[in-house]
Amino acid sequence: MNRILLFVILSVLLPVSQALQDLLPPIPPFQERLQLLPVVFAFGVLALPLLPALWFALLAALVQGLVLLQVQDGQVEIGLTLPVVFFLCWAFLLQMVSESTQGMRWELHAFGSALVTVSMIAGQFLTLCIKRGGFPVDWSVLMRIIVPSAAALLIAPLLYFALRFLVPIAPDDSGDRKPAGFGV
Amino acid sequence: MRKLQIAALVLLAVLAIVFCSMEAGPLRHLQTGLLGILSPLSRSGSAVKDSLGSLGKDLMTLDQLQAEYDRVLAENRRLRAENGGLRDLQQENAHLREVLGYRERSSFRLVPAAVVGHDSGAWWSTLRINRGTRDGIAPDMPVITDKGLIGKTAAVSDNLSEVLLVTDENCKVAAKVEGTKEQGICTGTRSPGGELQLTFLSKLADLQPGQKVYTAGVSGGIFPSGIALGTVKSFRARELDGMAVLEPSADSGGNEEVFVITGAK
Repeated sequence: MNRILLFVILSVLLPVSQALQDLLPPIPPFQERLQLLPVVFAFGVLALPLLPALWFALLAALVQGLVLLQVQDGQVEIGLTLPVVFFLCWAFLLQMVSESTQGMRWELHAFGSALVTVSMIAGQFLTLCIKRGGFPVDWSVLMRIIVPSAAALLIAPLLYFALRFLVPIAPDDSGDRKPAGFGV
Repeated sequence: MRKLQIAALVLLAVLAIVFCSMEAGPLRHLQTGLLGILSPLSRSGSAVKDSLGSLGKDLMTLDQLQAEYDRVLAENRRLRAENGGLRDLQQENAHLREVLGYRERSSFRLVPAAVVGHDSGAWWSTLRINRGTRDGIAPDMPVITDKGLIGKTAAVSDNLSEVLLVTDENCKVAAKVEGTKEQGICTGTRSPGGELQLTFLSKLADLQPGQKVYTAGVSGGIFPSGIALGTVKSFRARELDGMAVLEPSADSGGNEEVFVITGAK
């Protein structure tokens, strides 16, 4: 029951985090924007069992992909393929790490959030470079990738402990031992 | 239980493949649906943000309030004086138009909108406004402020629209330079600096810093002629054309109120 509740809460949190990150002001000096969706995503795929985690990854890919969708002259710049493959791959990876560490920990969530953020923004940049041509890497571009990732690393523990407080995950007898390893 | 899990996995794979193979049209519909879901969140979040902002403004000291009152009073007197002068000029202008037989200058039908959020994507410059199809907004309508053009509408839901800013690399605007015959294409840049670049100019174009750039209003285009775009910062001749760097007229980041041009009056 707790897992269903967690899945529902996290599924609602995805669009909420997207709306919230759009409202937050940019960080000077290069106007970087905070990314909350990867932090929620990393929490979800670490805390949920494999199958719900994959469904959650698909949902995250839909929200992220559709919000950033740009259609120019009837052509989609980055469709849903990249976000779907990206989030599903990260869901598998984080699940494997979670299994190897006998459950999720706040450090794992923090580093997972930062890695998902850095790979997501860098991946978008590389895709745009391939599609539009040119490779304009300068200091401001690097900061646009690094700062949100560092911010995700710092924000992740706050979400981790807030969600642990909101959804008291308890071990159950369904045979999946992941929630039992949910610890500090 | 295992059968159910396999069925869920197969369904997931099928859905993933369906989403990956979607074309632009259905994706736009899905995006509009998502904007509809985000709309109440964005609107209420924006309202809370405004309330918190005004709370900070309300907590001014008496000295600050007095200073603010004095400033507003002085500005009111100045505006009254200016208004009187402008009324005379308006009458004179109307008289001259009548005498010379000028048609009344056509103006735009504007829909005011409030900015309810900026897109947090790192490489795209967009913002969201609290107007949609219910207010007569459609995709590809110009969005302006009193300072000039800031972009065009892209995805539009019932009461929320996404605006692609002129500072985005994907937003291309035909532009002309004040005082010259030079015309080019104005776009944003991927590097986040907020500057615009005007390309396809003549290599011999003698552009000077400070010259104004306006929309050219080409036939079949979506931007009407004469809307301020920016000011020339620098110009350089490239191998095949000339390129100018522009400072945008309207600061899209600092605007809370914008106008959508829905047509001519």
